[in-house]
Amino acid sequence: MSSGTPSSTITLTSSDGVDVTVERQVAERSVLIKNMLEDLGDSGEAIPVPNVNEAVLKKVIEWCTHHKLDPPSAGDDDDSRRKTTDIDEWDQKFMQVDQEMLFEIILAANYLDIKALLDVGCKTVANMIKGKSPEEIRKTFNIQNDFTPEEEDQIRRENEWAEDR
Amino acid sequence: MDDNAELQSFRRQWREEVARRTKQPVTAQPQVPKLSSTAQPLVPPARHEASDRKEEEEEEDEEEEEEEEGGERASEEPRASDHGDVVQQVGQLSLEPKDDDAFLMKGIKKEPSSALEHFETAVQKEAEGNLGDSLTHYRKAYRLDSAVEKTYRNKHFAHSWKPKPQPQPAEVSLPPAIQKDEGEKEFLPTPELIASFAHLPVPQAEPLIENTPPPPCPISNIPSEVLVLILKHVAMMDPASYCRLSLVCKRFAYHFAHEQHIWKRICQGAEFGFKGMHYSFGCDVLGNPTYTLGPQYTPFPSDRSVQIPSPMDTWSQVFQTLPRIRFTGVYISTVNYTRAGAASSFHSISWGAPIHIVTYYRYLRFYPDGSVISLLTTTEPLEVVPYFTRENAQAARAVAGHRHHHHHHHGHNRHPSDPGASLSGLTDPVPPAAMAALKYTLRGRWHLTPPSPPDDRPDAEQSATDCPPAPGKSASVSASTDPRDLVIETEGVDPKYIYTMHLSLRSSTTPKSHHPRLSAPNTSKNTKLAWKGFWSYNKLTDDWAEFGLRNDKTFVFRRVRGWGME
Repeated sequence: MSSGTPSSTITLTSSDGVDVTVERQVAERSVLIKNMLEDLGDSGEAIPVPNVNEAVLKKVIEWCTHHKLDPPSAGDDDDSRRKTTDIDEWDQKFMQVDQEMLFEIILAANYLDIKALLDVGCKTVANMIKGKSPEEIRKTFNIQNDFTPEEEDQIRRENEWAEDR
Repeated sequence: MDDNAELQSFRRQWREEVARRTKQPVTAQPQVPKLSSTAQPLVPPARHEASDRKEEEEEEDEEEEEEEEGGERASEEPRASDHGDVVQQVGQLSLEPKDDDAFLMKGIKKEPSSALEHFETAVQKEAEGNLGDSLTHYRKAYRLDSAVEKTYRNKHFAHSWKPKPQPQPAEVSLPPAIQKDEGEKEFLPTPELIASFAHLPVPQAEPLIENTPPPPCPISNIPSEVLVLILKHVAMMDPASYCRLSLVCKRFAYHFAHEQHIWKRICQGAEFGFKGMHYSFGCDVLGNPTYTLGPQYTPFPSDRSVQIPSPMDTWSQVFQTLPRIRFTGVYISTVNYTRAGAASSFHSISWGAPIHIVTYYRYLRFYPDGSVISLLTTTEPLEVVPYFTRENAQAARAVAGHRHHHHHHHGHNRHPSDPGASLSGLTDPVPPAAMAALKYTLRGRWHLTPPSPPDDRPDAEQSATDCPPAPGKSASVSASTDPRDLVIETEGVDPKYIYTMHLSLRSSTTPKSHHPRLSAPNTSKNTKLAWKGFWSYNKLTDDWAEFGLRNDKTFVFRRVRGWGME
């Protein structure tokens, strides 16, 4: 917090070498960047974000900009339980992207340590899983069934109690 | 048990008729196991106590079904004989595998015309427990085609018996099979099998066309901690979906078994876990909230460190085993009883005296706030269950201009998040048949018996009706510390009454595995509600009266899509 000017901007460099200028307050939604700025001070140099390409970085910044005034996330999900499965409307729209982008955003949120965005992404995926049969889930995510029929049957027997039939 | 005798004679007549038409005796009719009580030892007529009669009868039924089916179905693994309950067995064969869709199938049903269609309808009716209609359809099916059962079995069971032509009891037919299988790969017990799945990648689907790039599978690229986070969200939204996820691939099955913190979170949560259980009444009889000062007892508070109760090792066991009320569906008790009709003069005495099979249903739906709605009706599950909500019941009551005027209309303000009819995928208005049935819905409240009597249990909050002074029962009831015991109080049909139901959570009897290598299926626990007693209390005269439960059957839980998952 050396500069103390909340409206100052910083520059991020994506993995494909594109510089993106962003408000410092927005960038600090990322705990990784926030810590980095605190540790290193704002030298004015571009900060490399080696795991995130330009398209994804812009998407993440879009999210951070919309949520820049959110209070910091209140730790774990245990108490505000009703809220835990909700996704607000703006976030739902934001997450209407193709699956590859969705997982890229999740990976970026994980790398940049943006917990709220990671949660929204994971909930979005969870919503795609909810209510589907195993085969439908495989189709949705292009997953191959690596069980033998015997193994599949064995696991089904073991886990079927959770179906609450 | 004259009912049984009547049923038997009715069944005999039916068989005779079928035999006469086919000129070849029908030897096995496995689709009507409920009626095949010939083998059943006669239950002594003295048993009228609801408490012990029900369970034993159920178990006998199940045993018997199993035996009947054992012969023919021993070799068809995945599901049929896994479930002790015939309702579920047949239901799974004829309905979609996703049980909670069963109540939404109404739209695509059409009137059966062919013998096979009649037979299928009959099986479905039987699955729903409606034996009267079921019989009608079975009869029509057999009249149209005496070999319909074979057709039916060819259609629905061919996959299971064709590759393995010996329908012998497992012990006889298996040794060669085992040798063959073991030659191919060795058999692992389930825990070892699951442990062997650790660290396997999420397998990517193969390309649709050879030598083209495979379809993208980004989920296979995410690190474990993120994958686990996704699984946790699925589990918190719906444990049943989590179960299905475990069948997608080995990696998911591994996490399902090993991420115990997810199960702990579910146990501590209110959505599906024990925070949502009530161990004393959480509201008044009409469902209005009551406020108590002391903290409510909960077995696994989330603000303290909690331990797994001693006989268990894992949180998934806790979630599976400890008594728990489900909010994600409806508990249905299907009651069939026979009533002899007047004999027609056109028939001889031994043949054709009509017997009416009367089917009625009791429905219970529980809410996490401690309220419950109860309905006794002849309206079938398909017609009433999708609309069985507090809000619809209240609307039905209002429309009917019910003579009880309760000024505290509680539903709308208190439960804005209740899905009502809309979340179950039905936006259409409640049909008149459902409304007609729903207006008889009784409001009430429920609580479980605490696992051990806690010191801080607010005894003052106990209702007077908690311990009905029923002769011969009071001792066991009031001293009850069986954590499976459930107390329900509802309003009566007349406002001067309060009804008290004592039920106890029970599990389906786990059928024995016919396959020496396969573990017995690990079925859901505590999804049934067995009767222990039913009383009405007259508030004006302070009188208790006991309801006979001669015909009443155990409640069975059925999931309903969208319920309890807002």
